[in-house]
Amino acid sequence: MKFTIEHLAKAFDKKQVLKDIDFTFESGKIYGLLGRNGAGKTTLFNCLNGDLKADAGKFYLEDNGVTRNVVPEDIGYVLSTPTVPEFLTGREFLKFYMDIHEGSIKDPKPLDAYFDYMSIAEEDRGKLLKDYSHGMKNKMQMLINIIARPNVLLLDEPLTSLDVVVAEEMKQLLRSLKGECITIFSTHIMDLALDLCDEIVLLSHGELEIVDKADLDSQEFKQKIIAALREEGND
Amino acid sequence: MIKTLRISFSLKNAYTVNGILHAIKQMPILKKILPGTIYQVRGFKIFANVLSVLWEIFKAFFGKLLYFVIMFMAAGFLYELEAENEGAFFLHVLLFLSVIGSYMNTYMFNPTKDKYYAMILLGMNAKEYTLVNYFYAIFKILVGFTLFGCLFGMMAGLPVGICLLIPFFVVGLKLTVAAYDLRKYEKTGIATSENKLGTPLWIFTFVLLAIAYGLPVVDIMIPQTASVIIMLLVIGLGVVSLHKILTFKQYREVYREILVEAMTLMNSASQGDMVRAQSHKNISADISIESHRKGFEYLNELFIKRHQKILWKSAKRIAAIAFILFAAAVLVLYLKPDFQTEVNGMLMTMLPYSVFFMYMINRGTGFTGALFMNCDHSLLTYSFYKNPKFILKLFQIRLREIIKINLLPAVVIGAGLALLLFVSGGTENPLNYAVLFVSVTALSVFFSVHYLTLYYLLQPYNAGTEIKSGMYQFMMTATYFVCYMMLQFELPTLMFGAMTIVFCVLYCIIASILVYVFAPKTFKIRN
Repeated sequence: MKFTIEHLAKAFDKKQVLKDIDFTFESGKIYGLLGRNGAGKTTLFNCLNGDLKADAGKFYLEDNGVTRNVVPEDIGYVLSTPTVPEFLTGREFLKFYMDIHEGSIKDPKPLDAYFDYMSIAEEDRGKLLKDYSHGMKNKMQMLINIIARPNVLLLDEPLTSLDVVVAEEMKQLLRSLKGECITIFSTHIMDLALDLCDEIVLLSHGELEIVDKADLDSQEFKQKIIAALREEGND
Repeated sequence: MIKTLRISFSLKNAYTVNGILHAIKQMPILKKILPGTIYQVRGFKIFANVLSVLWEIFKAFFGKLLYFVIMFMAAGFLYELEAENEGAFFLHVLLFLSVIGSYMNTYMFNPTKDKYYAMILLGMNAKEYTLVNYFYAIFKILVGFTLFGCLFGMMAGLPVGICLLIPFFVVGLKLTVAAYDLRKYEKTGIATSENKLGTPLWIFTFVLLAIAYGLPVVDIMIPQTASVIIMLLVIGLGVVSLHKILTFKQYREVYREILVEAMTLMNSASQGDMVRAQSHKNISADISIESHRKGFEYLNELFIKRHQKILWKSAKRIAAIAFILFAAAVLVLYLKPDFQTEVNGMLMTMLPYSVFFMYMINRGTGFTGALFMNCDHSLLTYSFYKNPKFILKLFQIRLREIIKINLLPAVVIGAGLALLLFVSGGTENPLNYAVLFVSVTALSVFFSVHYLTLYYLLQPYNAGTEIKSGMYQFMMTATYFVCYMMLQFELPTLMFGAMTIVFCVLYCIIASILVYVFAPKTFKIRN
């Protein structure tokens, strides 16, 4: 499966944040989206998720040569600050989700199996989400986003504020999921991107470009990425 | 000293000016016209500067004027005083109110943003900054109280000499309290923030208020001469206190304590986080709450049950109060039959009042607010929740719930009005009973539909839970205005009631159609 974006553009007031996004993502890979502060990473995700209306351009999925428009169910979007319905318990949120997706989830499991999978402790499952820690909210949000196996998984700085243990669990999780979907992962942390991602994509000048690793060693590759990003700051 | 004064003025002015420009930039139409660079444009800056200066003058004078008008003149109307007692009454009230003001409004211990910027962020000399600004504040009080104290004091028949003591007395009290708090800090290390008074001081405040306004009712007042002596003593204390204020060395430490505490509340949690945290307190922690339904009915039932406090409880309370009031009214009509004709006449012509009344008691905005803060704010970030089918399904469920909640008090009020009509002598056309009842309940349904429709069509909140829709605010104000205007009408109940019912039914039909067509597009988090 391929996820193609064509000539996507978005401006705020007079500031052209996304100029001409033109890129094709392929399933089975984790894409690390790097960009400087304010480069428009979140704007791009918001456009793809339908929260923002793009000024121009389109994006679609292509499976075995057949193209079709993206519907909300295709996208999983994990925000940097996890948001969960605070008045529900973890278990209730999951039950609600399973209820309304009855029939459309391929191999539904018992609720506790999902909690086990995410390493959410037994005693926390019945707590109100408003009393969850940051890391647990993040896990919950991730869980809801991956149960239905979305074709495109957008992750906006998901690991930045997690403790090392949870961050490691999440990394493992993303690696285990990547076979089935297109994962686009935005981050500021270069080492994380290099560690986890199969491809590095830069968002600069409002455009996406892939950084070719070719036969560079990791130190040289880093230098190349920084040089490319620094260029933007100068104009 | 002069330099500190100049810097602190320009600092305060800079953020007042930017605050004004920001506010202008939020207005519905101007928002589109004005450029994002507004903060740099000279013309706008000057304009905002003028407003800022006017605001400063307004605060210095108008605030005091309002204080005297409300506290003394309005209160004066309520008491029937002999002319010779007016002066004593004036001083009696002034004495107690000034005591309250001396610790509620110290200036020195008020944790404001300008102080935070100047002393904590910019690292200005705390003592110099505090003293310069403190004496500027004191100067404003002196001017304001000299002017209005004399004006109102002389109106109460006090001689000019006593009137001239007023500003010095007020300032003397403030100085005394400030010096007392500074000394307390030196001894105990506890800094007092005037925004955190604590229960004992609040009780003390109410006692003082009771003494100020309660005792004159039974003709007990501090005699004028005694008041003057107290004032002179306080002025003396003030002069002594001045010494402490000028020589105190630990301003920096005091402010670090009260400012950092206050500002972490304002900064770390942005405004939106605070609003949400407040809203989360409405979620019941009762773990026995559960639901056996499925899907959206499950979500809804849990939401309603966990928000009992702000939804059903207040509706029940209003219904209970309405019930008691109607029961009392019926009783009065039995005991005093003379009122019957009057009440009957009112019921037959003043139904338009019920529009405003039903507006006031409707829980619609509370419901939509809680829906967003505690539910949609998070769920709208999930793709599945934005499925048009789901949006409409949940809209139906929520509409049913909000109508149910509001209907309870409406039924009590509708039935109460009909009963009152019957007890007060009845009517030749029995249709009036039905119209009273149906129109009040129809109004209740109307407001429920109205608020939920506006919420779904305009979804005014952004991710930071600020209201970002000018249209939404306009509609809210317009709703209030129209309901308020209804207080001006007197129409025959039959006619107005029939019109109301037709309007409500039509409105509900149109609103539902609009939601079905547009909500799947409009119901999302604003940017």
